[in-house]
Amino acid sequence: MYHRQEATESDELRARFTAWMDILLYRARLKFIRKEKRRIPTISLDELEEEGVIVADYDVFRNQFKREEKSFDFEEERLAKAFAELPIKRQRILEMLFIEEKKPHQIAKELNCSEAYIYNEKHRALKKLREAIKKDGETQ
Amino acid sequence: MTAEEFKAVLQAAIAGSHEALETILDQYEPLIRKHSYIEGRYDEDLHQYLLIHIALNISKFSI
Repeated sequence: MYHRQEATESDELRARFTAWMDILLYRARLKFIRKEKRRIPTISLDELEEEGVIVADYDVFRNQFKREEKSFDFEEERLAKAFAELPIKRQRILEMLFIEEKKPHQIAKELNCSEAYIYNEKHRALKKLREAIKKDGETQ
Repeated sequence: MTAEEFKAVLQAAIAGSHEALETILDQYEPLIRKHSYIEGRYDEDLHQYLLIHIALNISKFSI
């Protein structure tokens, strides 16, 4: 009788510890997720363009086309080829945006056109480049 | 593991025994794994975090 009572107490201990662990783990998990959320989120260039936000950062521009470290040189070459095929005005706009790091309103002033035109041209040029790179990648 | 053995191991783990803590972690691995998923995906970092969290907090459990 005494033995059975003692065994029940220990089982109760095991059940209590399991419940305690469950709550501890549940709270720790939430804490971990909250910490993860505090990290700076990264958004791809495509998503930014969909939201209509301009990114005047040459590194972002480069990384967009840099799919794999190994094939980077090869892709750079394809990118250069695709870039050369763009109309001169679009080339100039991309250069001003991503190399000279000028703001769209500054470019619009210099080229004597509207800011919306710069955004449109940039969007079209990037689309063309992306298509050209994708096309080349499929054929090879 | 009998209930008596469990009690002894738990007491040792709370007192700071690494071996006992390891036994407890082994025994509770399925529960820890259950909590190691984020949006349906197993997260190894979370799993590690939970193991550390248990090790740091097990002494707070009162028998």
